[in-house]
Amino acid sequence: MTARQAGLVACTSCGRVHAQAVRECARCGAALHSRAPASLQKVWGWWLAGVIMYIPANLSPMLRTSTLGRESANTILGGVFELMHHGSYGVALIVFIASVLIPVGKFVAIAYLAISVRYASALRLHARQHLYEVVEFIGRWSMLDVFVVAILSALVQFNFVASVHPGIAAVTFALSVAFTMLSAQSFDSRLIWDADEAPAT
Amino acid sequence: MTDTPTPPEAEIVPARRSPWRNLSVVWLVPLAALVISLLIAWRSYADRGTLIQITFENAAGVAAGETQVRYRDVVIGVVEEVGFTSGLENVVVSARIDKDVAPFLNDTAQFWVVRPEVSTRGVSGLNTVLSGVYIEGTWDRTGGTALTEFAGLESRPLVDVTERGTRVTLRTSDGNTLPAGSPIFYRGVEVGRTEKPQLNNSGSVVEIRAFIEAPHDRLLTTATRFWDTSGFQVSFGPSGLRLDVESFAALISGGVAFNTFFSGGRPVQAGHVYDLYSAEEDARENAFARVSGASVTLAAVFTEGVSGLSAGAELTYKGLKIGEVATLSAFVDDSERQPTVKQLVTLRVEPGLMGLDDDATAEAVLDFLAPEVEAGLRVRLAKANLLTPGLVVELAEIPDAPVAQIDRDADPYPVLPSVASELPDLNATMEGMMKRINALQIEELIAQATRMMASIDALARDDQTRAAPEAFVGLVEDARGLVGSAVVQALPGELQSAVDELRATVSGVAEARLVERLAETLNKADVAVGNIASASEQAPALMEDLRALTEKARNLEAEELVASADQLLQSLDALIDTEAARALPPTLNATLDEAKTLLTRLSEGKAVDNANAALESARGAAEALEEAAQGLPQLSARLDSLVSRSEALIGAYGDRSEFNRETLGMLREVRTAARSLADLVRMLERNPNSILFGR
Repeated sequence: MTARQAGLVACTSCGRVHAQAVRECARCGAALHSRAPASLQKVWGWWLAGVIMYIPANLSPMLRTSTLGRESANTILGGVFELMHHGSYGVALIVFIASVLIPVGKFVAIAYLAISVRYASALRLHARQHLYEVVEFIGRWSMLDVFVVAILSALVQFNFVASVHPGIAAVTFALSVAFTMLSAQSFDSRLIWDADEAPAT
Repeated sequence: MTDTPTPPEAEIVPARRSPWRNLSVVWLVPLAALVISLLIAWRSYADRGTLIQITFENAAGVAAGETQVRYRDVVIGVVEEVGFTSGLENVVVSARIDKDVAPFLNDTAQFWVVRPEVSTRGVSGLNTVLSGVYIEGTWDRTGGTALTEFAGLESRPLVDVTERGTRVTLRTSDGNTLPAGSPIFYRGVEVGRTEKPQLNNSGSVVEIRAFIEAPHDRLLTTATRFWDTSGFQVSFGPSGLRLDVESFAALISGGVAFNTFFSGGRPVQAGHVYDLYSAEEDARENAFARVSGASVTLAAVFTEGVSGLSAGAELTYKGLKIGEVATLSAFVDDSERQPTVKQLVTLRVEPGLMGLDDDATAEAVLDFLAPEVEAGLRVRLAKANLLTPGLVVELAEIPDAPVAQIDRDADPYPVLPSVASELPDLNATMEGMMKRINALQIEELIAQATRMMASIDALARDDQTRAAPEAFVGLVEDARGLVGSAVVQALPGELQSAVDELRATVSGVAEARLVERLAETLNKADVAVGNIASASEQAPALMEDLRALTEKARNLEAEELVASADQLLQSLDALIDTEAARALPPTLNATLDEAKTLLTRLSEGKAVDNANAALESARGAAEALEEAAQGLPQLSARLDSLVSRSEALIGAYGDRSEFNRETLGMLREVRTAARSLADLVRMLERNPNSILFGR
């Protein structure tokens, strides 16, 4: 039996249980919803915005460095390849994971979760819940790249000798990460478990 | 009928739930993101600029994505790709140019790669050492049809297309001294640059394209002359030593200067061809209106040699150049009894320089000259310059010239009457002076003196003369007894008077003003040399002084003096040589014998004292002579110092010219003469009495 079948709704903020008709939590004042309204729409909306922002983030330069008058601009993937070219495989791997693997993985994971709510999935419900938690947790680490750019451009300002400026991709990448995090947050994980009840009724 | 009408079954249609109603606001976010992304994409595409291709022979240092394209040091684009033309002939650099700038890239656009460059004109592009090369472009600002393919230049063009000015071509035979970029000066101000010298098609002439910046290009006329100012120029002339250096850059990398020496030139079009002269002097001399072309050719016939005259020599009239010698030729004139070779000199006269119209005809010129010729105007040769052997032709007014007229019908040109030149034949004058100095018969004088002394010596050696003292002693002894004899008393008086006369003669010699005159002359020479030293630029004045000196030397009465001295000596010689003189000792002996007998009879008398007094007088005379002679060493020393001064001066003057050599020779002669004189004086000094007593 679920809370909804029992005619109850739990506050997601403080955990107090109310009757289903109650609109506001008597304890903390938060709005009460048995299932977050239009949850999937929000997920898809933020998700799409994140994907859209992720495209220019990969095409335009992330970092513009000028050293002794030579100016060069690198995209994320270009930077990865350059690092590999210089033999820094470890750093290249970190950048690749943080800037490419994780965001792309998040897009795929969120899309999978949202789709699996509607349609039957091969993955067990517990595994899906776990996946959702991982996505939520790992999302912030994608900001690593943005932080690096921000710190570099704040610290490396030696005029002619060397200077670093953030590229347009830094902004779009940060937006993309933010949108995906919002997307993941919009996902109401209780939807996962609704599928568990369906065969029972 | 209480049938209540039943309302018809109302058809209740559930309100159709709009699919948009549940639509969350969150969808606006991706929509906005999409719109903004597309907007950014579209804008960056629209702002992308124009891709152009520049072809270079080599693209050293050009890197795709890094090398910038700049215009006036502002970045206007970036190289996107570096590739090759088909066949790998050239490098093609593709660059993305700002779309605001791209429309201006018309056919005047020039691109070159800026690299560090060190040349004599300075260091440029040093910043590219660190930042890497970049491509610089320039074009005029008129716009026009925009192009996308350009041929790159090897290096920065010497003349920016935006610079206004005039391009001209300079022709020379040697492009060695003018590398590309040499400055062009006008009165010392840099007003343009030259490009790389190039051979013309036949290879016979080096052509240098030059660019004169506006507004200085309006200084160019057909009368303008260009000359090479490369390196430095040392010239030596009447004004002394000159060192001309245009500028340090010109000293190292060469340079060109131009000026317009005479008026009347017409403005030139771009591409005008000028000759490049090797020096300003050449350009200036050549400037005489070759362009006007309206010259009148006349001729003159000279019987004397024209050595030193050459084509191009000046023709002067009242000191002004009115033309130049065109040709020189010789012909045999057999109109007289004896065929003679004469020189025909054709003269190109510029009427404009004479004050006539520029395009005056030959007739007008001849009409102008005819009355002058009647008044004594003649053609003659003159020295161009005191220091060089070159000659010029001058139209000189000869007041007492024989009547002559212009031979208007002469073939091929009208012949102006000429007179023999009175070239200031300095050489001849100098030589004459030398000859005169040489001709001073000092040696003969010395020979005469020697002969006279020999005669005196012979006289003294004569036994009879030797016998005289003994007789004299006897005489003296005898004379003791001789007192108060009127005859004897008179004898010392006469002797004294004779000695007095001799003294007068010697003082006459001493006062003959030989020394003073020589000293005076040398003083003048000294002054003249001082003039030379103090005012070497006043060479003509110096020459006048020297000529005056020569005149004075010529007028010097030394010859006469020497002749007089000679005569005197000869007379003396003759006197001593006479039979009477030879007979004197025996006569004297006899007289002495007689005197002895006379003296023996004299017990006492003042004769001896008188004789002593007479001898004192003789000694005084000798001392006077000695005194006079003492002046001579000083004189010769002075002469010596004068000579060395002159020599030093002339040494400083350089030993180039004929004049110097001759002057030096003259002074050496003078010194030799002075030494001879000094020798004579020294001899006289050693034996001042020998001239009298023959020892």
